[in-house]
Amino acid sequence: MTVKYKTIKEIKKMISQKEISHKEIIQDVYKLVKENSNLNAFISLNEEKSLKKAENFDNNPSDCSLAGIPIAQKDLFCTKGLRTTCGSKILDNFIPPYTATVIENLENAGCISIGKTNMDEFAMGSSNETSHFGNVHNPWGDNLVPGGSSGGSASAIAAGIVPAASGTDTGGSIRQPASLCGITGIKPTYGRVSRWGMIAFASSLDQAGPMARTAEDCALLLNEMCSHDIKDTTSLDNEIPNFEDNLNNSLKGKKIGVVKDLDLSSLDKDVIEVYENSLKEFVSMGAELVDVSLPNLALSVPTYYVVAPAECSSNLSRFDGVKFGRRSKNPKSLEELYVQTRSEGFGDEVKRRILIGSYVLSAGYYDAYYKKAQQVRRLIKQDFDEAFLSVNVIMTPTTRGPAFDIGSKGSDPIQMYLEDLFTISANLAGLPAMSLPNGNIDNKPIGLQIIGNFLDESSILNFGHMYQTKTNWHMFSPEGVIQ
Amino acid sequence: MDKKTVTTISYLSRLKIDPEKEEKITNDLENIIKFVDQLNDAETSDIEPLTNPLEKTAKTRTDQVTAKNLKKELLEIGPSSNEDYFLVPRVVE
Repeated sequence: MTVKYKTIKEIKKMISQKEISHKEIIQDVYKLVKENSNLNAFISLNEEKSLKKAENFDNNPSDCSLAGIPIAQKDLFCTKGLRTTCGSKILDNFIPPYTATVIENLENAGCISIGKTNMDEFAMGSSNETSHFGNVHNPWGDNLVPGGSSGGSASAIAAGIVPAASGTDTGGSIRQPASLCGITGIKPTYGRVSRWGMIAFASSLDQAGPMARTAEDCALLLNEMCSHDIKDTTSLDNEIPNFEDNLNNSLKGKKIGVVKDLDLSSLDKDVIEVYENSLKEFVSMGAELVDVSLPNLALSVPTYYVVAPAECSSNLSRFDGVKFGRRSKNPKSLEELYVQTRSEGFGDEVKRRILIGSYVLSAGYYDAYYKKAQQVRRLIKQDFDEAFLSVNVIMTPTTRGPAFDIGSKGSDPIQMYLEDLFTISANLAGLPAMSLPNGNIDNKPIGLQIIGNFLDESSILNFGHMYQTKTNWHMFSPEGVIQ
Repeated sequence: MDKKTVTTISYLSRLKIDPEKEEKITNDLENIIKFVDQLNDAETSDIEPLTNPLEKTAKTRTDQVTAKNLKKELLEIGPSSNEDYFLVPRVVE
């Protein structure tokens, strides 16, 4: 009896039918972690405490919604007593004295946090090649990237080690690795999930969300992850629906926005074919396709690469070697302590973004870059507001192609930035968006992106779940179709 | 983006650039700035900047102490501390 490749729903059933004990589940998960150590998906494990929590569930059965479900947590969430590195050398010894709200929510619902997943350093990257702890490998191919920045989370699910993981998404960091690893993941509406205890990258864009095998499992996780948190001033106090309620709603008459300004000419014809086949599938379920215009979409990547570095340069100023994390050895002065600690502790991509941020925020350039980008950000949001007057959801490919080889993007950072071409606009506008597997190209998975209106995660989950009742792309694993 | 600008922004960022990486970093920054210059294509003269997608001001709350005193735990994780303070190289002679 194994939980390899099982969904949350299936594991819940195995538990309720007493086919497996809680302890056996966790033992099996650690066996799978060890068998897949070549993926480098985990930075730290939490074996002793996880086994203890499982034994507790065996001795005192719980009716919590996710009791005993193993979950991997992105190493960007603070976890009390468990090392939290954010993929960086500067935090390689950091053991937080508190736990992030979203992790606490999941653990209160019964989830067992089995370990912390590898990631691009401070979530800055789209291939998991910027981690201080080494590249993560994609289980779909020896030399393939898993995407990033939540690459360890995506890889661990795709390999069948865990049914669920947490991720964070600032410009596509849940959806892009979900696409490249053939799993399902959601970035919720900005403000739905508390950011307290999440190590900040770009505060007006960062949002945590669930990663799993299916839209249905994402709904189960999202039910527990969302909360109003007074410790996060941008946490929304709007009503949180039960995200399972509308999963099976009919799609008849529902409208899918197809972005007419989207330049698909640079994509392989296989990618376009996979995308168009998915749209046809939705039409066969009764949905209608409606052209929508997002004229400023092409400016979303340049807008992001002003706004995100600006916020990052400010947020990362807290890493100075004084109060926590790594400190350089034998600094002669306080100034030298700051400079040496940061220069030794940050990797090249993080430094590049801090420098860009300092540049666009500096006195002579603030209006030309930072203010200008914020104005374009409003134009992008207004385009979405207008589009959602006539459609329920908007669909695009999630990525420009399937997983690429480690090292293949060369040393030009802009080539990597363009990986997030289709995902960034949802972060700029604060909208919920999901990626789910919708095809295979050369035996590598690829995803479809479904963007929803503000606070309307229920619609994207509904479209996603209905798609997964009609297709089996989410059932594909690197070892073939899961039986 | 020239060497002098890179020196200024690396000082503002409290980062030291390795001399052998200086040319590559200058080129990368130059290319990124050229790339984001596309923003000039957008007409934004009457557009208010959007700082945050929620556009709400921070909520106020009752001024009550809710946090626990974590002084001991926080000092313990510091790279160098005594029982009351984080320690850094001497600033005042």
